[in-house]
Amino acid sequence: MASVKLFCARASAQCVLRNAVRPTYVAQERSCYKQVGKPEPDMRWKPIMDRASQTVFWTELFSGLGITLGHIFKEPATINYPFEKGPLSPRFRGEHALRRYPSGEERCIACKLCEAICPAQAITIEAEARADGSRRTTRYDIDMTKCIYCGFCQEACPVDAIVEGPNFEFSTETREELLYNKEKLLNNGDKWEAEIAANLQADYLYR
Amino acid sequence: MASALRKVAPALIQRAVCKNSAPLFFARGAGKVWQPDKEYFDQFSLPVMYPDENTSSWKLPAFNEHAVVREKQVQNITLNFGPQHPAAHGVLRLVLTLDGETVVRADPHIGLLHRGTEKLIEYKTYTQALPYFDRLDYVSMMCNEQAYALAVEKLLNIEIPPRAKWIRTLFGEITRILNHIMSIGTHALDIGAMTPFFWLFEEREKMMEFYERVSGARLHAAYVRPGGVALDMPIGLMDDIHEFIGKFGQRLDEVDDLLTENRIWKARTVDIGVISSEDAMNYGFSGVMLRGSGIKWDLRKVQPYDAYDQVDFDVPIGINGDCYDRYLIRMEEMRQSLRIIQECLNKMPEGEVKVDDSKVSPPARKEMKESMEALIHHFKLFTEGYQVPPGSTYAAVEAPKGEFGVYLVSDGTNKPYRCKIKAPGFAHLAGLEKVSKKHMLADVVAIIGTLDIVFGEVDR
Amino acid sequence: MSKYIEKISRLFRIIKENGGVLGSVRTVFRMEELKTGTLVGEDELGNKYFHNPMYFVGRSRWVVYSDAAGHDYDGSQVPAEWHRWLSYISDETPDKADLPKYPWLAKHTENQSGTPQEYVPYSTTRPKIQAWKPKTEEVYRKHF
Repeated sequence: MASVKLFCARASAQCVLRNAVRPTYVAQERSCYKQVGKPEPDMRWKPIMDRASQTVFWTELFSGLGITLGHIFKEPATINYPFEKGPLSPRFRGEHALRRYPSGEERCIACKLCEAICPAQAITIEAEARADGSRRTTRYDIDMTKCIYCGFCQEACPVDAIVEGPNFEFSTETREELLYNKEKLLNNGDKWEAEIAANLQADYLYR
Repeated sequence: MASALRKVAPALIQRAVCKNSAPLFFARGAGKVWQPDKEYFDQFSLPVMYPDENTSSWKLPAFNEHAVVREKQVQNITLNFGPQHPAAHGVLRLVLTLDGETVVRADPHIGLLHRGTEKLIEYKTYTQALPYFDRLDYVSMMCNEQAYALAVEKLLNIEIPPRAKWIRTLFGEITRILNHIMSIGTHALDIGAMTPFFWLFEEREKMMEFYERVSGARLHAAYVRPGGVALDMPIGLMDDIHEFIGKFGQRLDEVDDLLTENRIWKARTVDIGVISSEDAMNYGFSGVMLRGSGIKWDLRKVQPYDAYDQVDFDVPIGINGDCYDRYLIRMEEMRQSLRIIQECLNKMPEGEVKVDDSKVSPPARKEMKESMEALIHHFKLFTEGYQVPPGSTYAAVEAPKGEFGVYLVSDGTNKPYRCKIKAPGFAHLAGLEKVSKKHMLADVVAIIGTLDIVFGEVDR
Repeated sequence: MSKYIEKISRLFRIIKENGGVLGSVRTVFRMEELKTGTLVGEDELGNKYFHNPMYFVGRSRWVVYSDAAGHDYDGSQVPAEWHRWLSYISDETPDKADLPKYPWLAKHTENQSGTPQEYVPYSTTRPKIQAWKPKTEEVYRKHF
C-alpha cells in the first residue's frame, strides 16, 4: 500500500512540476491570429441591397474584366529569347568547365575532392604523374546526365579548376553527348575563361 | 420600343434576382445537410400497414408474366484521373469511382516520382544530403533545406549567427510567396481562370532571380546549409527585394479583385472540399489545410525557429474549412510574408553567415588558400564530412504547404543512420478520399488544387 | 497630345532604322519584333549588340545575330565576353571591361549538337586491359 502511495505521490509531484514549468515552454501567442474567412452574411436591408445590386449588375465581373482590359495596354513582360536574355548573376551555376592558369597549364591537380563531394557521383577521375613529374588527371569525366548542378564541386576545388560556368545553352540531341570528358571540359574552359574569370572576380569577396 | 423595354425590365430584374438569390440569403446553404424534421416524422403518425402473419406471405404479382426478367448488373464507373491529366498536378494517379458524376470513392495512387531519397541520404554525408531536400517539394526549396539544416544543427548543438538566421527567414518567406503563387495560380487555372496564372508567374520569375542571385540556381538552390547559409547575400540584393515587395502588393490586389468576389470563382470554391476542424486534426493535416478549418496552429508562432520569434506577423485563420477559405488564407499569408520580408530587410544584422566552427562549416576560400590548418579542414569537410554526435531529433518548419519535418537519427558517424521526412502533402493526399467524397468530378480538380500537392515530397 | 506624336514619330524612326518598310518586314520576319536602340558593339562572329534603357531589364539589351547565321540563329552563338554583358552580369561591354586575354583561349563555337562537328565522348586514358587476340588466323593458315 505504501508503495502505491509513494507511486501516486511521485506521479502527482510530476504533474505539479509539469504544470509549474509549462508556462516556460509553451510560448504560444493567441493574439496574432486573424480570421480571414467570410462570416455569415449581414441580413439587414442595406447589405442585402448591396449584394443584390452586385448580383444583378455583375459589378465584380465587370471590374475584373476592367482590370484584364487595363493589362492589355501595359507593356508585356515577355522577353524575346534568343535575342534578349534574362538577367543572370556571377554565381550562376551552369555548364561545367575546367580552367587553366594564365600560362596555359591546366589547374586541376587531381586531388579528387570534387569526386568525393559529388552527391550524384557524376565525376570520375584518374590520375598519373606526367613526364615532367607533376601530377595531373588522365581522365576527368563528368556525366552531365547525372549531375544535379548543386555547385559542390566548385566549392570543393582548392585551385578553382572545376567551375560551373555561366553557359546554360548546352542542350544536346543525344544522350552520349552529355558524357563530358577532360578534353571537352578543358575546351569549355578555354571558350568561357574570359567570363568565368570575370565572374569569379566579381564574387570573390563572398567566397 | 422604350415602352416595351420598360414593361419587360421589372420582369427581367425579378428573374435575375430569383435565379441568383441563393447566395444572397443562404451563403452557406449549398452545403447544408438535410436533417429529419417534424414533417418527416408526421407522415408516420398516419395509419401505416406493417407486415403481419398473413400479409407477410403475400406475393407480388409479376409485372408482366410473359416477359423474361433478366437481372442486370449495375456498376459504378471507374475513372483514371491522371497521371497525365494536366489538372492532376504532376504525377497523381487518382482512381475515381463515380456514381454518375458524383465521386463515391477517390483512391490516390502514388509512387510514380519515388526516388528513394530517404534511403539515398543514409549513404551520403550530411553535406551531400542537402541537395536532395531541394528536390522534395520543388516549389518551396529553401524551406525544405531549412528543416534539414535545423535538424542537423540540433544534433550538433550549434547556434548559427544572427545574420544567417535572418537570411533564412527572409528567404523562407520569399519561398512561401513562391509557393503560394504557384498554388493559387494553378488552382485558378484548373478551375477556369487563366489570367491570374500569367500575372503571378511574372512575379515568380522575379523571385527566381533573387534565388539565382543569392545561390546561383533558380530552383535547386542548395543555399541553406547546416551551420548557416552558403554565401552572404550580394550587395544590392536587399534593395531589389525591397523594391519588389513594394510592388508585389499591387499584383496581389489585382488577383484579389479578379478572384475574391468573382461569382464563378465562388461557385467553384465556396463549400467545396469542406473539412471540419476535428477531421483536419484526425487526418494529420497541417499548414493551410488545418488553419482553413479554424485551428490556430502555426509552427512559426508555436515553436519559433530561426528569427521568427523576432518578427511581427499575423496568422490567417479560416472559418468554414472550404476551398474558398483556404484561398483567402493563402492570399493573406502572402501579404503577411511581405510584412516579414520588410521586417527582415530592416533588421538584417551585420556579421557572419556561417557558424564559426571549422569542424562544421568550410573555411572561406581566401583563408583556405593561405592557411594550412584551414586547408586541412577544407579537405576533411569535403571528403569525410563532419561527425554528428549520436542521437535522434525531429525538426519541423512551417513550410508553405504545412509542417515539413525531418527526423534524423545519427549513430555518431559522418552519415545519417536514418532520415525520415515528414511531408505535409502526403497527409493531405491521404485525406483526399475524405474531402472529395460526394463531390462532383469537377470539384475534385478544385480540391486537388487547394490541397496544394507536389509530388516531389509525397513520393520522396 | 505630344505623347502620342512622340510615339508615332518613334514608330517612323524605328521603321527607318530597320531599313524602310521592306527592311522592317524582313526584321519582323526574322526577329518577330521591331526595336530601336544604340549599337554598342559587334563581336568577331558578326553579331551586333544593342542597348536601349527605355525597355525594362531583360529587354533593354539584345543581340542581332549575324546575317551569316540567317534564320539558323541560336542562343549559343553569343561568345563568352558578350554573354556576360547580354545576361546583365556586368554593365561593361567587353571592350571596356578588363577581361583576360590569353593566347590559349579558344574561339567560340555555337552548340554543335546535331551537326557533324558534334562532340562524341571518348576515353582520355590508356586502356587498362588488352583485348585477347586469338591465334586462330595463324592456325588456320598453317593447317589449310
